[in-house]
Amino acid sequence: MPKKYHIDTKVTPLELEYIHKFRIERGENCINCGRCTKVCIYEVHKRGRDGDSRKMALPSTVTCRNCFRCIQECPRGALEKSLDGDFLNMGGSYWKPDMFITLWKQAEDGKVPVSGAGYRGPFTGPGFDGMWTDMSEIVRPTRDGIHGREYISTSVELGRKLNHLVFDENGKMLSEVQNTIDVPIPIVFDFPYEELGANIRAGIIKAAAKLNTFVILSPKDITPDVKGEMKNIIPLMSYKDIDANLDLIRSVRIVALEYDEEMEKTLPAIIEKIKKLGSILTMVRIPATRSVEDAVLKLAQNGAEIIHVVADYRGIEIGTVDAENPPLLSRDVIRAVHLKLVDERVRDEVSILFSGGIAMAEHVPKAMICGADLTAIDIPLLIALGTRLYEEPEKILVFAEGVESLSVGTITQRMVNLMGAWHSQLLEVMGAMGIREARRLRGETGRAIFYEEIDADTFGKLFKKSETVSL
Amino acid sequence: MKPSTVKINPMPSRFKHQVPKYKVTRSNACINCSTCAKSCPHGVHERLEGHNKVRPPIDYKCIGFDCSKNDFYCVDRCPRKALSVSLNPMYETLGDYRWTADMITATWIMAETGYPPERTDLEYDIGNSGGGFDKLRLKFPSGRPKLDKFEISTEIPLNRRNDGRVNIMISTPVYGGGMSFGSVSLPTMVSKARNAEIWNTFTCTGEGGYPEMLTPYDDHVITQVATGLFGVREETIQRVKIIEFKYAQGAKPGLGGHLLGEKNTESVARMREAVKGSPLFSPFPFHSVYSIEDHKKHIDWIKEINPKALISVKVSTPNDVDMVAVGSYYAGAHIIHIDGGYGGTGAAPDIAKKNIAMPIEYAITKVHNFLKEEGVRDEITLIASGGVRTAHDLAKAICLGADGCVIGTAEMVSLECVRCGNCESGRGCARGIASTDSVLADLFNEDWATQRLTNMYHAWNVQLVEILQRFGMRSVRELVGRTDLLEHIDYSK
Repeated sequence: MPKKYHIDTKVTPLELEYIHKFRIERGENCINCGRCTKVCIYEVHKRGRDGDSRKMALPSTVTCRNCFRCIQECPRGALEKSLDGDFLNMGGSYWKPDMFITLWKQAEDGKVPVSGAGYRGPFTGPGFDGMWTDMSEIVRPTRDGIHGREYISTSVELGRKLNHLVFDENGKMLSEVQNTIDVPIPIVFDFPYEELGANIRAGIIKAAAKLNTFVILSPKDITPDVKGEMKNIIPLMSYKDIDANLDLIRSVRIVALEYDEEMEKTLPAIIEKIKKLGSILTMVRIPATRSVEDAVLKLAQNGAEIIHVVADYRGIEIGTVDAENPPLLSRDVIRAVHLKLVDERVRDEVSILFSGGIAMAEHVPKAMICGADLTAIDIPLLIALGTRLYEEPEKILVFAEGVESLSVGTITQRMVNLMGAWHSQLLEVMGAMGIREARRLRGETGRAIFYEEIDADTFGKLFKKSETVSL
Repeated sequence: MKPSTVKINPMPSRFKHQVPKYKVTRSNACINCSTCAKSCPHGVHERLEGHNKVRPPIDYKCIGFDCSKNDFYCVDRCPRKALSVSLNPMYETLGDYRWTADMITATWIMAETGYPPERTDLEYDIGNSGGGFDKLRLKFPSGRPKLDKFEISTEIPLNRRNDGRVNIMISTPVYGGGMSFGSVSLPTMVSKARNAEIWNTFTCTGEGGYPEMLTPYDDHVITQVATGLFGVREETIQRVKIIEFKYAQGAKPGLGGHLLGEKNTESVARMREAVKGSPLFSPFPFHSVYSIEDHKKHIDWIKEINPKALISVKVSTPNDVDMVAVGSYYAGAHIIHIDGGYGGTGAAPDIAKKNIAMPIEYAITKVHNFLKEEGVRDEITLIASGGVRTAHDLAKAICLGADGCVIGTAEMVSLECVRCGNCESGRGCARGIASTDSVLADLFNEDWATQRLTNMYHAWNVQLVEILQRFGMRSVRELVGRTDLLEHIDYSK
């Protein structure tokens, strides 16, 4: 049994003014009786406004857990609560305000979010929200992965695998087995944003190294101070820049190249060139535009080792959007790519890395079930630092005040915490499914329940009127 | 026992105020003439004897814009036009997609009065989740009901195997879900059991042992045997009429249970025969059951210990839930209890609640049909839970194929749960329902809680009887599997 992969999380709060979900206001008819201080178990209400202990201080919404006791027990009905406007404005249609709160919390404590009472959200939703993962009731050996008694492996393999082996008449193997790289967690970091402070850039790289995963970086960001982490860095460049970066490429394990239509023909030569520099894997980064699966197939047939399919940050394909051709959602992009490669019998030969809209832990196993080998994230790494994202009118990231003075250690730990929480959640989902190796999640759509399918199969069959054909 | 003989008593909220749906604003134009106080029959406006001023409006008593058709509508009656009514922003902070603020408010009214709300401004039959029960509607025939309500029976049998074990009829097709001592307070547990006795139905211990205070209600308690086997003893199996094997729970299928150390207080630890303050895990799955044969062995074991009792098997809802149900039947179970993915919990990972296993609406259909195809549907009782929030959900679940339902959250809401979801943390429930903290668990007494539950069950029964009456059915058993009486707002166009 391989050594168990463990992520060291450590509670790491930030001294930031986070946005909170609720807002409590004390009305003028408050009589400073102090009843609220007695009933609140979360210490929202305290005495001592302006240093005067006869007066009630402003409610501290930070700790409010929405129990309604102060509201209901105030003798004067002087307290009012509402949803905070700044909270409601965060994010957009994909990045929901609640996501930020839960990501901030996970980056702080590294724990799986746990709460009481049943699920509160909508029955289903677009994309990943329209699927449930399966579980096994009885017939399966023990799990308890998350609590340590059994090993569930989250590692995945990157690289090209042979479809079959070839031998000569003497039984000597002719096939050359390529090396592959194990990543212990099916998440790599995509470098998120051009204008990042040096401390954040260093933190992302250090976190990737600590987790023993990878970070994809532009060569200009690979400064001498991060030379120690080269084995966790994937430089991203145009294939035309290979010659200018030979030394850099020699020092890494994977190099990423921007997709170019040319590559459908030239890829074998490019890969050969890189192989000459060392045992280095080549990854092709391709935007998920309409029918990306066709281009992916050509790359796979031309010897691609790892293909990185990059969708929009809102979990949709990239490209023009019009009413007649609504954008495909991540879930469907991945399925299309996966199924295309399966149909053409090359799926097992390449690794598919998917990114775009991976915003919560659940998206990782779901993307894998749809057919990705692993995922890449960018925005969540910044959210781990208290950053907020706004989708409208255009994508904008708002960094928390003081983020530029955070230490690299703190930044690293916050990102490690977030990944620790995601890793544990991945174990929960896999444990329930009875899958002990993350690699086996790939394409396991039979172990998921898709809303459209089950709804049509259940309610569609029961309630759909036989279709009338109008001539 | 006839449901009509259950005694209803009004049992108001424990709190001074309720969460208001509307906001009544009185402007400076008010001259304190007290016209509003004299006209409002709901008590929103008040002027105390000998006071010069009208008191600030009591928002939560207001019935809202629908009141405008009444001649006592304060906004119209005020001679200075000083009053206005608007939606209260506070209301948005209550409830969620599944349990809307209206649904919570309506359940509180049911628990207070024993009847569905008279107010017309609350949408409480359906939630806002946009799927499942919330897209199904009951398709009532037109015309006046011919049956008298007193001819309608809501009784269902729990033993349909005819195997010589005890025959149990419950008077209403609902019973209380398992909530362990530890996850909820003792008063909550005891009042659930007292209500079960009043309604001639059941409640379940959950996995936390069998507190002594439940002994008077043995005939209405289900002993749960779950994977951690906490507090399970021969004697607790022998004293009851139903024993429930819990394989999994809908809110956290495949994950087992987890009681945080903070909630493992001295009394909880004693009951569970564990060490105070340490977190307690119920593993998943039963480490003695890896096959359906092992499962049969389990059931045989319990049957041997208690030769009269019925066996219920509680499972969650994976893709193959239908196979599991049939397997349980052949292993000798009397009740198959399926708990859907959106069900309640005292603590579960959020990722599990949202994502693992299917919602109950699909599972009922799947299991009911498969049991029918196997020719064994009439020999087993199918109980559904996990997102059954209202009497209408209950009726819809039965139409889809369940014999009855188990409810949990609806009971908690009757005790004034606001679904804030903090049951699991620190001292537990701030409202004293799901807490074993010595101060918090004392926030209400059992008499209050029992009556609230009894009232809510009564309100549900009233609604169920009305539904059956409109369908012209004499028994709730006629409703089972009648999907033809449902329509789906997407498909049935």
